[in-house]
Amino acid sequence: MIELTHFQILSGFLFAIGLYGVLARRNAILVLMSIELMLNAVNINLIGYSIFMNASESHRALGHVIIIFVITVAAAELALAIAIILRLYRNKSSINTDDINIMKW
Amino acid sequence: MTSLVFFYLASVIILGGGLTVILSSNIIYAALGLMASLIGVAGIFILSFAPFLALVQILIYGGAIVIVIIFALMLTKLEDFRTLSDHKHWPIALIASLVTLGTIIAAAFYTPTNLVSRRGVDFDKIAHELFSQWAIPFEVASLVLLIALMGGVIMVRKTNSRDDK
Amino acid sequence: MDSNNTIGLHAAWVIPLLSAAAFLIIVFSMRLVGFFFSDRNKLAMLAPIVSITAILAGFILFWLVLLDVLNFDGGSISMAWLIVGPAEIRWGIFVDKISVAMIGLVTFISLLVQVYSIGYMKGDRHFEWYFAIHALFATAMLTLVLADNLLFLYFAWELVGLGSYLLIGFWWEKRSAAEAAKKAFITTRIGDVCLLIGIILLFRETGTFNISEIFHIAESGEINNAILNSSVLLIFIGAMGKSAQFPFHVWLPDAMEGPTPVSALIHAATMVAAGVYLVARMMPIFELAPEIMLIVMIIGLITFIFAGSMALVMNDIKKILAYSTISHLGLMMLCLGTGGVAAAIFHLIVHGIAKALLFLGAGSLMHSISNETNIWKMGGLRHRMPITAVTFFIGAASLAGLPPLAGFFSKDELLLSVLHDGQYVVFAITLLGVFLSALYMARVAIVPFFGSVPKNLAQSHESGSIIWVPLVILATLSAGVGFLILPLGSTYPGWAEFINPKHHFEIKPWLMILSIILTLIALILGWSIYVKKLVSAKQISQFIPYLHKTILNKYYIDDFYQWVIDKCILTFGRLVALFDRVVINDTVVDGSAISIYLSALKTRVFQTGYLFTYGAAMAIGASGLTILWWVLLD
Repeated sequence: MIELTHFQILSGFLFAIGLYGVLARRNAILVLMSIELMLNAVNINLIGYSIFMNASESHRALGHVIIIFVITVAAAELALAIAIILRLYRNKSSINTDDINIMKW
Repeated sequence: MTSLVFFYLASVIILGGGLTVILSSNIIYAALGLMASLIGVAGIFILSFAPFLALVQILIYGGAIVIVIIFALMLTKLEDFRTLSDHKHWPIALIASLVTLGTIIAAAFYTPTNLVSRRGVDFDKIAHELFSQWAIPFEVASLVLLIALMGGVIMVRKTNSRDDK
Repeated sequence: MDSNNTIGLHAAWVIPLLSAAAFLIIVFSMRLVGFFFSDRNKLAMLAPIVSITAILAGFILFWLVLLDVLNFDGGSISMAWLIVGPAEIRWGIFVDKISVAMIGLVTFISLLVQVYSIGYMKGDRHFEWYFAIHALFATAMLTLVLADNLLFLYFAWELVGLGSYLLIGFWWEKRSAAEAAKKAFITTRIGDVCLLIGIILLFRETGTFNISEIFHIAESGEINNAILNSSVLLIFIGAMGKSAQFPFHVWLPDAMEGPTPVSALIHAATMVAAGVYLVARMMPIFELAPEIMLIVMIIGLITFIFAGSMALVMNDIKKILAYSTISHLGLMMLCLGTGGVAAAIFHLIVHGIAKALLFLGAGSLMHSISNETNIWKMGGLRHRMPITAVTFFIGAASLAGLPPLAGFFSKDELLLSVLHDGQYVVFAITLLGVFLSALYMARVAIVPFFGSVPKNLAQSHESGSIIWVPLVILATLSAGVGFLILPLGSTYPGWAEFINPKHHFEIKPWLMILSIILTLIALILGWSIYVKKLVSAKQISQFIPYLHKTILNKYYIDDFYQWVIDKCILTFGRLVALFDRVVINDTVVDGSAISIYLSALKTRVFQTGYLFTYGAAMAIGASGLTILWWVLLD
């Protein structure tokens, strides 16, 4: 039988993979993809709790509702992030995160 | 038992796709891995009696997001993308992600929860909740999408005269 | 406010308010009226009309107050001002014979000076402002003489200082005038601070500011003797500052930078009289401190001789009159030091009228000879300006002490008072001063008006009637006011008894003859030196070259002050500035900034600007926080 623990561990692994990707990859588009993976890990966790929690149906529906919002926000974030990357590429001819360090001292 | 088999199958697809994203040196493979991973998540949704979410997942993630990312690849320099290299401090990234993983798994085991067996949520119940109690956040989300759209358009617009200098 | 008071007392507090109202009206309404009058000259005449109306009304009310004092012996009115714990501070007025005499003098002189100023200041750029500050000054001075408590008096005292600052610096575009105003203000300020400390000391001991209550407590012997002495001394230092006593006299000659009518007002009736008035008013507690009385006497004596000698060698007509004022103020202080309040106040009035006359006469002279002040460049003007000359002679002769002019009587009273004190050395030196006084008066009166007329002054002529009418009034009074000393009928027992019923009018014929002889010798000497040229002034000065040079340089006192300021105060200031620069600025202010800057140099390497660093730190931090939360919860 599927348990909540399965969902949690799957979510944890996917989150860890996404985090590694965000930190280790140097290409901005790959960083963006890794962020999508992390968001999906959160979604897995949410749906798991939604179907296993001992709570009223309206409470459990909240899990689904939040997933819908996460997907919405992910789409919006992606649109802006892609725009930023394109702009960056046009100005600096590079989308390598190591080349972007104007925030430093 | 069948569901467990399907769950493991979905997990393998998800994690395999994720590993492709973070390990592949060709960005097209990475994009395809991402797509596989997202479709696997759709499978998880189906296992969770949430066919609507699975549909949304495939439509938005698999259809829209991955396509947009591939568009972005086309608009930037494609020739560099076949030989991607990782950050030179990748061991630190590995340690950070492993620590996070350990924390999450420990949390999964230690979190006290009152559980019952797996059951879905009625689709009309979700719709009712979304459009009654969460109506205002829903509308705000639509605004967020609109503003993101406008922001994206403004940001990638052809440079005006001031930027040319 | 008490109800059972006579009309005279109520009239008294109205007098300063009238001038205050005039000041406010002139200052605030001039712009407003400007909308309705296109002709600026017509508009300008409104200011003197307002201020002169106010002061004239004050002078009329003075007679009401005087009648009241003659019939009912004055009194006081007060109302609550501040209530601080157990102490209630009131503002109120106190009318007695001294203050009523002062009101008369101040309103009268102010009135004449203001009328005179219409002619003298005609066409000045700040014509309205001139009358506004005249009104302000009159307010301050009248409040000062009426105040019934020391705090209120101090308030008026400072206002007098402000008024004098504004009047002396009236032509502030001129650098020397601005400097002189500053000098007067700062020098008197030293005295003011001492006065304030003295007042606070008295308040601490007695718990009241009311002057009569302080006298009452002091006379019952409840004040610690040392504190009484020190507070009396401090009050006297305040009076020294305002009355330009040695060593605070330096501001007064410089104050001649103001318009000449201002000199007449400040140096005759008002500001410099404030110090003498204060000592006279506080006389009951001065008498409880005989050592301080001695100091008052000595300071007065030094000032009398010392300023008299300087008046003898100065060449500027206004400077001569200024030093003569200092000298006569010294004489008043000397007399107060011997306890002769009546004589001092009488001389204050006589000197006020005569000196106002002399200053206004000098102003009239300068007005017609294009502002020349050096007496050696004038001469023979008695034919050109007969009225000015005659009135000037009367004023000078009065101050020199020629009978039967007022100065003769007041000087006689002063000498009598000094003689009563029994200090024969002081008496002898005073006689020397009297001689000096007559000599310099002869000099300043003779040199401009006798001899031949210099060519460049050939066009000089008598001033207009608005200028000479006040001169004539003052000259008449200067000649006649002296008879007030005598008992006139049954209601008026003579000045001395009027002021202090314990005293009686008396005459010492040998003293009168002595003083007349001294004055005559001085006048004849002056005549023979400056008119007949029998004795050359130059030869006398060459006979004692060092003394002459010292006096001509004002005893080097101004140089000494300058030296103190340059060498001591500025050196100390540089030290303080160095401390400020090195310790406060470099160490504390810049030091903390630099330490932050240096630590930022060390810590900024953490801010790499790379996504990797921030992301890794965030991930590890979030995990660490979660683990910490767990550990703490278990």
